[in-house]
Amino acid sequence: MHREIELGERRRGAGKTREYTMRRLGRAVSGAAVAALAFAMAPVAHAQEKYRPPVSELEVFIAEPMPAGFGVQHTDVDGPVFVDAKGMTLYKWPLKDLRNGDTGDRKAKEPFCAGVKYTENSGLMSPYPPGLVLPELDTRPTCEQIWPPVKAAADAKEVGKWTILTRHDGSKQWAHDGMPVYNSILDKVPGQVFGATARETANDAPALREPAAPKSNVPPAFNVKTVATGRLLVNHVGFSVYTWDKDQANKSNCYNDCLKDWTPVQAPQTATAQGEWGIIERAPGIKQWTFRSKPVYTRVQDRRFRSMEGSDISGWHNVYTQKNVEPPKGMFTVQDARIGQVLADSTGKTIYVYNCADDALDQLYCDHPDSPQVYRMAICGGNDAARCVKTFPYVIAPVGAKTGNMIWGTMWIDPITGKRAQANQQGALHVWTFRDRPIYTHAGDVKPGDTNADAWGEFNGYRNGFKAFWLRDDFLDNVS
Amino acid sequence: MKRLSTLAMATAAAACTLAIGVGNAASPDTSTSVKDGTIGFVLTSRYWAVHQSPEGKVECPKGFNDGPREQFSQLFPNDGVKRTLLETQLMREGRQWFPTTSEEPFTFKDAGGKVSYGMVLDGKVKDSDFTSPDGAKGIDNQMYRAMGCISNYRAPEGTIYHFENEYVGRYVHNRFMIELTGVDSLINDDEVTINSYRGIDPIMADATGVQFIPGGTQRVDDRWGKFVRATWKGKIVDGVLISEPSDLTLPASATFDTNGLHVFKGLRFQLKLTPDRAEGIMAGYVDVEAFNHQLNTSWSTHHQSYGQLSAPSMYRAMRRLADGYPDPKTGEMTAISSALLVKFIRTNIEHPPRATASNEPAAPQAVQTLRR
Repeated sequence: MHREIELGERRRGAGKTREYTMRRLGRAVSGAAVAALAFAMAPVAHAQEKYRPPVSELEVFIAEPMPAGFGVQHTDVDGPVFVDAKGMTLYKWPLKDLRNGDTGDRKAKEPFCAGVKYTENSGLMSPYPPGLVLPELDTRPTCEQIWPPVKAAADAKEVGKWTILTRHDGSKQWAHDGMPVYNSILDKVPGQVFGATARETANDAPALREPAAPKSNVPPAFNVKTVATGRLLVNHVGFSVYTWDKDQANKSNCYNDCLKDWTPVQAPQTATAQGEWGIIERAPGIKQWTFRSKPVYTRVQDRRFRSMEGSDISGWHNVYTQKNVEPPKGMFTVQDARIGQVLADSTGKTIYVYNCADDALDQLYCDHPDSPQVYRMAICGGNDAARCVKTFPYVIAPVGAKTGNMIWGTMWIDPITGKRAQANQQGALHVWTFRDRPIYTHAGDVKPGDTNADAWGEFNGYRNGFKAFWLRDDFLDNVS
Repeated sequence: MKRLSTLAMATAAAACTLAIGVGNAASPDTSTSVKDGTIGFVLTSRYWAVHQSPEGKVECPKGFNDGPREQFSQLFPNDGVKRTLLETQLMREGRQWFPTTSEEPFTFKDAGGKVSYGMVLDGKVKDSDFTSPDGAKGIDNQMYRAMGCISNYRAPEGTIYHFENEYVGRYVHNRFMIELTGVDSLINDDEVTINSYRGIDPIMADATGVQFIPGGTQRVDDRWGKFVRATWKGKIVDGVLISEPSDLTLPASATFDTNGLHVFKGLRFQLKLTPDRAEGIMAGYVDVEAFNHQLNTSWSTHHQSYGQLSAPSMYRAMRRLADGYPDPKTGEMTAISSALLVKFIRTNIEHPPRATASNEPAAPQAVQTLRR
């Protein structure tokens, strides 16, 4: 059975959105280059994790040799990440094409994040020219002060994909797969991933860092995508994978009419089961993958990558290698909006996150309370702090509130300066945070489901602006 | 709903002869397309109605408007003076998001001339009105004055002109449909009802992938798209659908995962109908604040620069030219007359099963686990 499907895909760092028209075969093995061999090595010993996200299942990754003391840490929303000997998250800074040039680290080259204190913008982002003096120069840090390089000892030896690069000052820095790795000063304890996220962002986002991470332990027919609700399992093309409540452990009951709507993800003849991945023979010679003992399928009517529409059908569920931790209980709701679902506060007002990185060559973040607030003030209040707080109010958290995880938290904020405050500071607000950054609502949202401040800001909210906390998007790609 | 005045109806009928393909317009045979008095159309093309003379010499005798780059250069010339990001870029961005009507040091060029596409929205012929290309008087389209001399909105190379139309077909978010019911004839019918919906499917195209063809199916987006629902009463006169006004929220997504909306007040249709197509004008009053919001959340300052579109300047112009829906407190007009040149293609609209207690979607609930 053949079916024409019109798709949309957006690639990290790509210049434009692409569309592909694909032909999907109902009975052939998915993918043109499915490897036939076992896809993972037996795990090797690594540093014991210092934090366990409060979720029922954790993603299994492909272990690999690492420098002494390095390890892998499961995180709340970014899956497993590499950590150094102290258990602190490692990040990399891939080269990215911006509108007027590129910046970031180049593979296997001298790390670009160095000790230069930039004083002017680079003009990499149109339409503003370069040479404008950056704010708060007195306290502006260098790149390596914000992103400390993970240094290698003089006698360190390269191992596996871990190599050693020479920095500008002659010191040595670890790199994974050619990309220098760094810590973030925002991460204070193991398990925190406050520096950057594994989620993709739109094309005109800044040159962002991302967590350095091991590969997910999935067969070549599959992939794992970080979305707003967790680490979503998709097939190698990008279509969502589903399980069915009416299947039993390692037994499919989807035959005949069921196959009109659901396509078993077939396993090649030479594939073997391993770990969480099993293989069942649904018909002589026809094999199907199972994940955690559940047969997996794609949905015939899915038009888009990473769809969640199949989960609307009773008994069918998207599959996650690891779901995200929940927001604080009783404090947030989910609301239907014009393209899907958003996270909202307890009254139904949409939650927004604020994104910002400056346009100096080192692209330092400006969306954290410890960074200059003038960027946010321009967008949220037209450079008027009082209007800013009125237009994008903070989301107040009860004093003493605990979240039980790393990604959700609280902090005291001075609403006029936007900076951190002491608990006993007059006028300070105790607010909810996500990724150690305050979240907001919008005064222009009148009823539950309103998302009027989505894409509010420079470059549709990705460079210096606000994005709604989308949980589901059936039309666009706001959850990737 | 306000009934059309005799003048407006006559004007609308006279102004209906736009340059649209009418193919088999004279065919009285509707049996293959109209089923049980119902026919559906899906929007495939949508442009703001900007009437252009060669090189704009009539409507823009003083040239076209400056955009963000030009204005930035005027404010902050390359004169060797060191300036801060805060006093330049962040100041300008702040004004982008919080525009005012205060005087600015730039001259805005309204589109002049006497001719514009559009419809008579207020039933009057005023000095500020246009005449249609076919000679109909009283055309209300002050939006044309605001955008007519902005390159971004001009054919053929205007970025917004080109891409917003392309996105009508490309992005399912923009899937706008109308369903006519009570249709006895596509030539003359005293009373029909028009309902609008959002669809959730791609539009059927030919082998090129870019030419849309009639006869596909569109499922109604009954879950997320209720905001698109609206109803009009209308009639068909000599093959032209003419409706009374009704408010409409039109999905208007651009790229980069934006999901903007246009808010129309008193929107009406004037569409030449054939069994497979509907082409003509959608005209009404666009809410100025909503238009400005859609513009800024859909197109960054960078993209606006492509076609010399200064959103703060255009906002001032729209506020100045606004001619509808006065604010009850201030009396200031909040909406501006406008028109869209549109094309629809016939589609089979598939409605969802009637909701019952057993299949009614659950009310939004507190997050426990997003069980998928």
